[in-house]
Amino acid sequence: MKKKILVFLLPLGVFASSFNPAMQNYVNDLKAQAKSDNTNFIDFSAKRGEQIFTSKHIGKRGKSISCSSCHSLNLGNKGKNVHTSKVIEPLAPSANTKRLSDVKNVKKWLRRNFNDVYTKQGTALQKGDVLYFINSK
Amino acid sequence: MKKLILGAVLITGSLYARDVMPVNNKLYANECGSCHFAYQPGLMLENSWKKIMRNLSNHFKVDASLNKKDTMTLTSYLVKNSSDKSSAYLSRVITKYTNPNRAPLRITQGQVFRSYHEEVRSRFFKRKSVGSASNCATCHTTASRGIYNENYVRIPR
Repeated sequence: MKKKILVFLLPLGVFASSFNPAMQNYVNDLKAQAKSDNTNFIDFSAKRGEQIFTSKHIGKRGKSISCSSCHSLNLGNKGKNVHTSKVIEPLAPSANTKRLSDVKNVKKWLRRNFNDVYTKQGTALQKGDVLYFINSK
Repeated sequence: MKKLILGAVLITGSLYARDVMPVNNKLYANECGSCHFAYQPGLMLENSWKKIMRNLSNHFKVDASLNKKDTMTLTSYLVKNSSDKSSAYLSRVITKYTNPNRAPLRITQGQVFRSYHEEVRSRFFKRKSVGSASNCATCHTTASRGIYNENYVRIPR
């Protein structure tokens, strides 16, 4: 019996890093945009996303900041808002199932955080890359 | 014995008296409370909240922008429950001692906040465990219930 359960659970494990349907629609929209921005576009990359997430930039406050300044380098851990010291729940979907589950929320934070760290909106390519990176965690 | 119980009830009652009305709006608690302590609307004048809500995309140099609908819903919640509309004790004090034409953008800039915290040394606020004067609940252990009574203040080491 135990083996049977394991067999059923296995596929779930394999697809654990896929997006829910609403999120997948959003990712597809980003893909279409990225393709129209650059015809050579094939797919988003978690590796490029990691670079976007961890690299430091002079942010909206005029100080050096990266996404990991608040979310920490280990996305499975809790983070801390550098401005307010408020604890931020883990960003990795494997540690926090609420993450990357609500399109409205995801859009809101991508808009805000690109502004705060990069002082401008992220392109479709950048947003997709970051989402792939977070989703790989 | 009855008197004793009554006395105890009265004392406990005053200790637990709400200085401001606790937050009772889920959207507010979720949206504003995701980055910082969800300050009760009764801690500032209507004019302060209106100023803040007009410029969420540059909220103390951070982008806290919301969609139009949520911005309107939250502005109306804040205005309806601002200190000028509240009969809670601390709200009335804040309204009385704040010039509505010079309503501050930060609670910590308000006259009332300043005089209540006069005896708190600035180095306490700078402690790593505290972060800044804006983290009410770090020292006011009952802050989220709208109780700012000094009996429940515990300044972390």
